[in-house]
Amino acid sequence: MSHLAREAWLFGRSRSAVLAVLLLALCAAASIALGLAIVAKDKAAIDRMLAGQPTEIAALTGFVKEAGDGAYYGFQPTWDPPSDLAFAALGNRDIAPAMLRIRALALEGQIYENETANPELALPGRFDLAFVAVYLAPLVLIALLHDLWSGEREAGRFYTLSALPLARQRLWVPRAAVRVGGVLMALLIPFAVGTFVAGTAPPRALGFAGLIMLVIVFWAAVIVLVARRGSLSAINAASLAAIWFALTLVAPATVNLAVNAAVPVPDGAALARENREDVHAGWDRPRGVTMQRFLALYPQHSAGGTVPPTFSWKWYFAFQHLGDLHVAAESRAYRDGIGRRADLARTAGFLLPPAGLAQAMAAMAGTDVSAQLTYQERVRVYHKRLREYYYDFLFSEKGFGPADLQGVPRFDPDRG
Amino acid sequence: MRQAFVIAVADLRLMLRSRLALIGVATLLLLSGIAALTSATQMAAAAKARSAAQIATDEQFKAQPSRHPHRMVHYGTYALRPVGPLAAFDPGVDAFTGTVLFLEGHRQNSATFGAARESSDLVRFGQLTPAFVLQTLAPLLLVFLGFAMVARERESGSLRALLAHGAGARAILIGKSLALSAIAMLALLPALTALGWAATQHPGEAGIAALTALAYAGYLLIWVLGIVAVSALARTSQAALVTLIAAWALIVVLVPRAAAGWASIAAPLPSRVDTEIAIAADLRRIGDSHNPNDPHFAAFKAQLLKKYDVTRTEDLPFNYRGALGQEGERLTSQLFKDYAARADAIQNAQSARLAAMGLLSPALAVRRASMVGAATDLGTHLAFMSTAEAYRYDLVQRLNGLQASAVASADDTARSRDPTAEQRTRISADFWKTMPEFRFTPLNPAARATAMLPAMALLGLWLIAAIALLVLAKRRLEGPGA
Repeated sequence: MSHLAREAWLFGRSRSAVLAVLLLALCAAASIALGLAIVAKDKAAIDRMLAGQPTEIAALTGFVKEAGDGAYYGFQPTWDPPSDLAFAALGNRDIAPAMLRIRALALEGQIYENETANPELALPGRFDLAFVAVYLAPLVLIALLHDLWSGEREAGRFYTLSALPLARQRLWVPRAAVRVGGVLMALLIPFAVGTFVAGTAPPRALGFAGLIMLVIVFWAAVIVLVARRGSLSAINAASLAAIWFALTLVAPATVNLAVNAAVPVPDGAALARENREDVHAGWDRPRGVTMQRFLALYPQHSAGGTVPPTFSWKWYFAFQHLGDLHVAAESRAYRDGIGRRADLARTAGFLLPPAGLAQAMAAMAGTDVSAQLTYQERVRVYHKRLREYYYDFLFSEKGFGPADLQGVPRFDPDRG
Repeated sequence: MRQAFVIAVADLRLMLRSRLALIGVATLLLLSGIAALTSATQMAAAAKARSAAQIATDEQFKAQPSRHPHRMVHYGTYALRPVGPLAAFDPGVDAFTGTVLFLEGHRQNSATFGAARESSDLVRFGQLTPAFVLQTLAPLLLVFLGFAMVARERESGSLRALLAHGAGARAILIGKSLALSAIAMLALLPALTALGWAATQHPGEAGIAALTALAYAGYLLIWVLGIVAVSALARTSQAALVTLIAAWALIVVLVPRAAAGWASIAAPLPSRVDTEIAIAADLRRIGDSHNPNDPHFAAFKAQLLKKYDVTRTEDLPFNYRGALGQEGERLTSQLFKDYAARADAIQNAQSARLAAMGLLSPALAVRRASMVGAATDLGTHLAFMSTAEAYRYDLVQRLNGLQASAVASADDTARSRDPTAEQRTRISADFWKTMPEFRFTPLNPAARATAMLPAMALLGLWLIAAIALLVLAKRRLEGPGA
């Protein structure tokens, strides 16, 4: 312990080292503050949407006379609440919407909508703890550890120090431990404060802290391996910065290109257009054909399945749903393509630990691409419940009143 | 000056002999080449796909059968944001915005389907484009090649020998800067080739391409001068390297992200749902077409009846429902326009904050100049959105106009009860062929060049600061204890 204390004292006397760690702590604290603010903003937006819903329903009550009106005009909120770790890894929540209001019309025309957002703010990437841990902390670690041995050699003390009995246990290990510990503290103390504010479940907080530690351990190992080779400090620093640069900037960007090239995703614009074509063709298709196809899927509504030659909501919503089914395979392929890209990127993460750990952080925080796809799946599940609620009214031709508007199924963020 | 050249040539010779330097330059050239090629093929494919999709959607619209014009209002059409002429060089925000906008009556949709949402999480690590290589990677290569340029001479004692032999500090620093500039030019080459190639595809863009090249040359020159100055000011090459890598991380990585996060909190943007709810509330207040007793629409009707001196809408010389549709669309569109203008103002304020942070990071300044030049910035996207909204409004009002003029009022009223009346409300498919097509052209090159100026001016300030640092380094070298 006394060795650690001595090294900690020596570390404290190096102004540049203390400054570097303090700067890192400052960045980590700023990232946590920003993350918490952004999550609070997200939550407030969701709350505003939910708080506004009763007014929307009240307005509908004013003119909705039948189930079809409610199904057509009634937008229902769905949302993807930020998790208790989202503040530390904001992930893709800025480019994929966390809120979507949908109605019982064809879903393929609704589900790809985007949030209003300034793309210039998304372009540089997020400033969150995951970024500080994956990008900045390794650079600070490199600055602190690259001359662990070479610095002493260049100062002419190396052989004297190495000649000490048990030099490794008494000197090098405590020295490295103090520096790595300093970097870890700079990240983990602000994170701990963040988890306290966000009310993060302790096991999840520990898991995330574990990922941060893995990043630091990985880089400490790389740095020690390079620093022990006996080159000059400047060469060590340059090689390590080059390794950092390759692993953190160049390789992930290259892998992204390769993954996107390897896994084609169907053209979304064509998918949306095809959905519209089929939905609108419904107006001109013989009604019997539409109803027959629809009732094959919903035989329980066969009894009420006859439609008049004039406009009828059951016919209208039947062809809306058939429009979704018409592009179901393309839509599946579209989502699967994105999912496959995410899988490949995760696999690549095993070869590129910084990118892998960053993805693991976003995955644990529920802010990654997979979390977005899950949210979309839940919207789909909910849309089915919503449609089927209205089908019951439309096909049984029972009356639809204000109480039934209140009875419309509500979205459940955990299930859909 | 001759001395400076001699020193520059000697330094370049030294670099040519250094395997590490050669590997560094080769890696950058390779990355730059990959970036230029993939970006060019990707953006060319995107440009082709989008213009093909625009043609397809226009043809589909024109090929619709005879039907009620209001059905066409809901059938709608799509607007695709064209790929900017220099997007292959700097795709800017292209991936981070939707590229397809569905245009229909009564609703204002968001742009959907952008590359970033279709990619894995790795997309957030940065996209390998020529602009990214120049903004991010090239400065770090220059740091690696330049950090020891002067410091090494000091450590080996050759600096004192050089100065003693009459080489002025000025000549030494200029010589080193020239040598590093030569490397910077080499680093620029593939990206500039990509830029030049894009400019040959779009001859009108040559001026912008030249200005963009100038911006990047200035940006790299700032790095060159800064690196040589730090190398001369630092006590050891190790200290120079650590300082320069810290500066690089700060300028290129940290400030842009922190600035973006700060801007999003400092100027918060209402969500899409906020806007939808607010517009719905406004509409209920100013004119609710669902409410049969709505005062606005009652007044609208009374005014029409008075103007045409009739007592019933059926007696109007046109189909009242079409006119009603036009009035409803006018009200909603005005609100769409007002709310979009507010949201645009907030987004522009966010981007202005980002631009002002160019004072802290020349990387932000050069990114801005580059995106504005390439017409891949926020401004271009917002212009696309508002052009599409204007087009949507015009299209919907033309169709409502057709409902007013070409659909008989009696048939329109009876169509939901009487299938034969419904048949008569279907107007000729030829009408769809008379509708205009959506076109969007970004700002012209001259306007974009003007818009690049503030960012260019910031780069100019940075250049002055770098020169000042170099002058400081020269004084230090001339002083005692060099």
